[in-house]
Amino acid sequence: MWDLIQQSVPRLMSGLIVTVVLTGLSALAGFHLGLGLALMRLSGSRVAAGFAKAYSTLFRGTPLLVQLFLFYYGLGEFAFIRDTPALWWLFSEGSRCAVLALALNTAAYTSEILRGGLMSVPAGVTEAAQACGMSKWLAFRRIVFPLALRQALPAYGNELILIAKGSSLASTITVLEITGHAKRLMSQTYAIFEVFAIAGAIYLLFNLVLTGAVRLLEWRLMRHTRPLTGAGIAAAPAAA
Amino acid sequence: MKLKLFSLLACLALGPTMAAAAGTLAIGTEGEYPPWSMADANGNVTGFDADVGAMLCKKLEMDCRFVVQAFDGLIPALKAKQFDVIISGMSITKKRLEEINFSVGYAELANMVVVPKGSDLADIKDIPTLLEKMAGHKVGVQAGTTHAHFMEKKAPGADLRTYDTLDQMEIDLANGRIDAGFADVSALQDFLKKPDGANFQLVDVNINSSYDDSLGMGIGVGIRKDDTELKGKIDKALCELIADGSIAKSSQKWFGMDISRPCQ
Amino acid sequence: MEFGFANVWRDGWVGAILQGAALTVAVGVLAMLMGLVIGTVFGLIKWRRVPVLEWAVDLYTTVVRGVPELLIIYLLFFSSVEFVTNVARAFGFADLAQGGFAFIVAVVAIGAIASAYATEVIRGALAAIPKGHVEAARALGLPGGRIFRRIIAPQMLRIAVPGLNNVWQTTIKDTALVSVTGLAELMRVSYVGAGSTRHPFIFYVIAAAVYLAITLISQTGFDLAERLLRLRQRG
Repeated sequence: MWDLIQQSVPRLMSGLIVTVVLTGLSALAGFHLGLGLALMRLSGSRVAAGFAKAYSTLFRGTPLLVQLFLFYYGLGEFAFIRDTPALWWLFSEGSRCAVLALALNTAAYTSEILRGGLMSVPAGVTEAAQACGMSKWLAFRRIVFPLALRQALPAYGNELILIAKGSSLASTITVLEITGHAKRLMSQTYAIFEVFAIAGAIYLLFNLVLTGAVRLLEWRLMRHTRPLTGAGIAAAPAAA
Repeated sequence: MKLKLFSLLACLALGPTMAAAAGTLAIGTEGEYPPWSMADANGNVTGFDADVGAMLCKKLEMDCRFVVQAFDGLIPALKAKQFDVIISGMSITKKRLEEINFSVGYAELANMVVVPKGSDLADIKDIPTLLEKMAGHKVGVQAGTTHAHFMEKKAPGADLRTYDTLDQMEIDLANGRIDAGFADVSALQDFLKKPDGANFQLVDVNINSSYDDSLGMGIGVGIRKDDTELKGKIDKALCELIADGSIAKSSQKWFGMDISRPCQ
Repeated sequence: MEFGFANVWRDGWVGAILQGAALTVAVGVLAMLMGLVIGTVFGLIKWRRVPVLEWAVDLYTTVVRGVPELLIIYLLFFSSVEFVTNVARAFGFADLAQGGFAFIVAVVAIGAIASAYATEVIRGALAAIPKGHVEAARALGLPGGRIFRRIIAPQMLRIAVPGLNNVWQTTIKDTALVSVTGLAELMRVSYVGAGSTRHPFIFYVIAAAVYLAITLISQTGFDLAERLLRLRQRG
């Protein structure tokens, strides 16, 4: 058992770095895309709202694995993608393809979460800000967005964990993150249960750290409510 | 599918009274490894291994039933009695012998490296140079195979990419995502014959099991360790099939050459 | 480029894809049923704060929801083969275990995941039932079983429907992951078709479309259920 731990833990840890990078990049890109989509949904433009709605339906209605294979194997079929250096840079490597698929996927869920957050901001708040002479953009940046974010944070924390877990699918397109290493270790050692249990524990720790970080952020953002409600966290209804 | 579900439910209801059909040999096979084992859209298995299985069943006077399963799941499933034997182009290796038993080897194939025409690896003529020059190249192998184990052991500098099926590795070769692929010569020749394989060639270096024992000792039928009686019967039947040329004949049909191995 | 449409028709893939879709739905429905049963039991344990068991349920939902679904499937599939077979054999279902192993593991794995999420939904729904209702029923001397059937369950169900809809949508999408075990459900069929025809694009587009159809149709069903439950509440 000790031998197995010595053999597997260092490799799974190097996989953890890849998992963290995949998760971080996908979340970063996915958040901005999701925000854009949420704003399109609420923009009042029928075309923009329709596009954002269709996007969300499409990506939330199909499994991530299908999306990943469609991007990796499916798009690799097209000569023009292989012949365009910029596109091929993106699609030639499993890890980049995984970030792309994860980012596009989480963008759909994030857009729903942020839309819920944005809609929860009372119209009066925006009106008041504008009455104070803030431009629409300034009011959004300084007033509406922070309020919406605060509202959306618990649900977004769950989404972050879904991204981290979803990144395990990258192993199916040759990326050696935690699950990829675990599979390889499995066929080398046949210590199936042990290897997957260690890998699972690493994911669990990573997700606990993520949850903790989000809680901390939430606690900071809810500072103003603390003296009133006692516990800031409990006051935030989980918007899903 | 509905039928299958109904029969599943029927099994649930009738389970205790239903006895397993006497004299059925359940064979685990990958089903995605031409020309060894190919399952079609309806789940029928054809190929060299299907032939070997059918011939074996005939000798043993049993009915054959094929169970299709991902290659790296075959050994765990055999141990759990999901089927009685593995016939899936599986090489006999020391590592696998720790888990399961094997029949006598019935076939043996050289392994080769496939590269795009004009690759810097294309003209190498010996194994050590080839392995050394592979460093920094993206090399595709199938997960859980002797090829994967060999590359991990002998070419640590290579950027190894593992695929669940050989088909996927070939797709990535053709797309140019990887620089080389390592597999047995039959599978690679199959690839070269397809439109995708037109711009590829084999590196003229035969990597035999004699070079390193991680490549195994021929291809055998996987059997559970405690099934000594079955192993005795299968060994005997295989030796007869090798001796009378039946396996050589089927091998000619699927590979265009005789890959049968003398019974030892 | 012709995308390989011809291959899809010619080589009988349409039938295989439809069969795969049926299997996907079968795995999804059975897993969801398992999730509902276990989720209700676990949800009740958390709601009633049953000592010790409550912690066990917490541990279960934390672990299952914190570990990738793919890993859970690998773990169950590759390492439980023996366990599942032995259990099946002990109950005299050896034949079933042999033929339908991949199917059983698929349902158990996806069902185990659905259970963890359903537990949270049902616990939340139970917590939302006004305490007075249960107390009133008790005061009337109704037996525990009847209180659950007549008072708790109907209210819980109504509150839980949107959450359970989410669990179902996740569950049906999670079934794609069991393709790694070789079970010929929709994703696996597409994967094999993509590999053997060398036209992955068309196969994965078709797969995506079929999944989308399944999720959209079931979404409509859930919307309807929600509306009916709300109507009954009003009447």
